[in-house]
Amino acid sequence: MVKSVTGGTKTYKKHLKLAPGYIIVSIWVIFTFILIGWVILASFSTTREIFDGQMLKFSTGFHFENYVKAWKTNKVSVYFLNSVLYTIVSCSIIVCIAAPASYVLARFRFKGNNLLQNMFVSALGIPAIMIIMPIFSVVSKLELTNNRWLLIFLYICINVPFTTFFLHPFFKNLPKSFEEAAAIDGCSPIKTFWVIMLPLVQPGIITVTIFNFITIWNEYFMALIFANDNKLRPVAVGLYSMVQSMRYTGDWAGMFAAVVIVFLPTFILYIFLSEKIIAGVTGGAIKG
Amino acid sequence: MKKNRAMINAFLAPAVLAYLVVFLYPTLRTIVMSFFKVESVTDSVSKWKFFGLGNFKTIFSSELFITSLKNIGNIWLIGGISVMVLALLFAVILTSGIKFKSFYRSAIYLPNVVSAVAMGTMWINYIYNTDFGLLNRILAFFGQGNKKVLWLGPDRIFWSMLVAYCFGMVGYHMLIFMAGIERIPQDYYEAATIEGANIWDRFIKITLPLLKGVTRSNIVIWTVTTVGFFVWGQIFSPVNLSAGTAAPMNYMYELVFGSSSSVTVRDSGAGAAIGVLMTLIVVTVFFATTFIVRNDDSEM
Repeated sequence: MVKSVTGGTKTYKKHLKLAPGYIIVSIWVIFTFILIGWVILASFSTTREIFDGQMLKFSTGFHFENYVKAWKTNKVSVYFLNSVLYTIVSCSIIVCIAAPASYVLARFRFKGNNLLQNMFVSALGIPAIMIIMPIFSVVSKLELTNNRWLLIFLYICINVPFTTFFLHPFFKNLPKSFEEAAAIDGCSPIKTFWVIMLPLVQPGIITVTIFNFITIWNEYFMALIFANDNKLRPVAVGLYSMVQSMRYTGDWAGMFAAVVIVFLPTFILYIFLSEKIIAGVTGGAIKG
Repeated sequence: MKKNRAMINAFLAPAVLAYLVVFLYPTLRTIVMSFFKVESVTDSVSKWKFFGLGNFKTIFSSELFITSLKNIGNIWLIGGISVMVLALLFAVILTSGIKFKSFYRSAIYLPNVVSAVAMGTMWINYIYNTDFGLLNRILAFFGQGNKKVLWLGPDRIFWSMLVAYCFGMVGYHMLIFMAGIERIPQDYYEAATIEGANIWDRFIKITLPLLKGVTRSNIVIWTVTTVGFFVWGQIFSPVNLSAGTAAPMNYMYELVFGSSSSVTVRDSGAGAAIGVLMTLIVVTVFFATTFIVRNDDSEM
C-alpha cells in the first residue's frame, strides 16, 4: 500500500506495458481451467445432460452416484489401491537405495566415482523400448509376470539413477565440518550418514519423492506389459481400459468421474506442493 | 580408510545393482538381439539366428514403421518448435515482473502432473468431441454450427493429437527456460536499458545468447520424450495402430507384445532394431547439441 502511494502512476504504467503478457498467459491458464473444470463438472452430471448441452444447469442435481459407480462397479477402487501400494512402497525404497549411493558419490573420492556418476546420468536417456524386451524375457523365464512385487521392483530400479543424480548436489553442498565433528565424537561413518547427513538433505528428499510419486502414479508402459491381470493394474492402465469400455456402454458421466478419481491425488498434491515440485523440475533438468 | 572403502561399497552396491539389472544388461542384450533373427521375446539365445543388418532392413521396408518415423519426426520438429517458442514466450512474460507470477507458473505447469491417460481422455472426449466438444461449440458460436467437424477423423487425428500432447509439455519446458532466465544477472539488463536498448533488443542480445545451455537441455529432454512417445498414440487410436497416430514405440509394442490386427507377425529382432535406432537418435542429439554449445564461447 505504501508503495502504491509513492509510485502509483509508475507501477500503473509498468503494468500497462506488461498487458500483452498478462493477456497471453491468462488465455492459456483460462483454457487449462476450462478443460479441467468442465471435466470435473461433467463428472457430477448425467450422460444425457452432457449431450444436450444442459450440463451446467444441474437441473437434476449433483450426481455423486457416478463416483460410487466408478469406484465400485468399475473397479477404480482396485486400481487406486494398487497405485497407492506401488507408489508408496517404491518411493520409500528408492530413497533408501539412492540416498546412500548419492552420499558416497558426492563426498568420497575413489576410483570410478566419475564413471558411476556418468553411468547413472546415462540412464535418464535410455528409452524404455531399449530395456523392455530383455526384462520381459527374464521375467517370463522366472515366471514372475503378473506379480505385484515385480512391478514395484522395476519401478524402484528405474527411478534409482534419477534419484541418485538429483540428490547429488544436496549432499555435495553440506559442509565438511559435520563429518569431521562426528568423527571426533567417535561416530562411525555409517552412523554419521543416517543420523547426521541424511536429515540435513531432507528438503531434497521430499522434493525428489514427490517427483517419483507423480512419475510412478502416472506410469503406463511398464504396467501395461507387466500387469495384465485386472486385479494388479495401477490407475493409468486401469483408466485406459475403463475408458475404452465406457465409450461403448455410453456412460460418459461415469467415465469423467473415473478420470477425476485418477488425477485427483496428483492434483491435490500439486495444489499444496507446487512450489516444491517446480523447484524439483528445474533442479533436476538444468544440470542435465 | 579401509573402513570407508567397505562403507562406500555397501552404500553403492544396491544402486549399482539396480542399474546393472534394469539398464546395462537389457541395453547390451537388446543391441546384440538387434543383429539376430528372433521371433518371440521369450526365445532362449540358442534359438537366435545371426541376421546381420537384416532387422534394420526389415523395419525400413515396413510402410507403417516409416510412417511412424515421420510422425515422431513431425512431433519432434513441428511440435518441438511450437513448444519451445511458447515455453520461451511464457518464460519471458513470467520473468518480466508481472504479478501473480507463481500462480501463473503453477497453472501452466499443472497439465504435466496429470496422468497422460486422464489428460488424453479429457481432450478426446471433451475438446474434440463432435457433439458437445469445446471446439465445435466455438465454431457454432461463430455461426459454423451446421458443419460438425470430425477432429479425430483420419486426416486430422495427427494434428489433433499433436496439439493435445504439446499443450501438456509447454509448462515443463517453460520452467527450465525460467530457471535459465533467472540466472542471468540483472545488471546486464540495467546496463542495456541505460544504453537505450528496448525490450526486443534486450531479448535478442542478452536473453537468447545466454540461454544456449538451457536450450540445449530443453532440446535433449524433448528428444528423449519424443522417442518415448507411446501413451498418446495409444489413447488416440485404442484398437488398431493407425497411420495417423503410430509412433515407433507403438509399432514396436505391436511387433513384440501385440494384440492388434494391423501387425500380425511377431518379430522381436526387429523390435530390438527399433530400440537401437531410437537410442541412437537420443545419443546423436545429445552429442550434436553438446558439440554446438561447446564451440560457442558466449556460454555462461
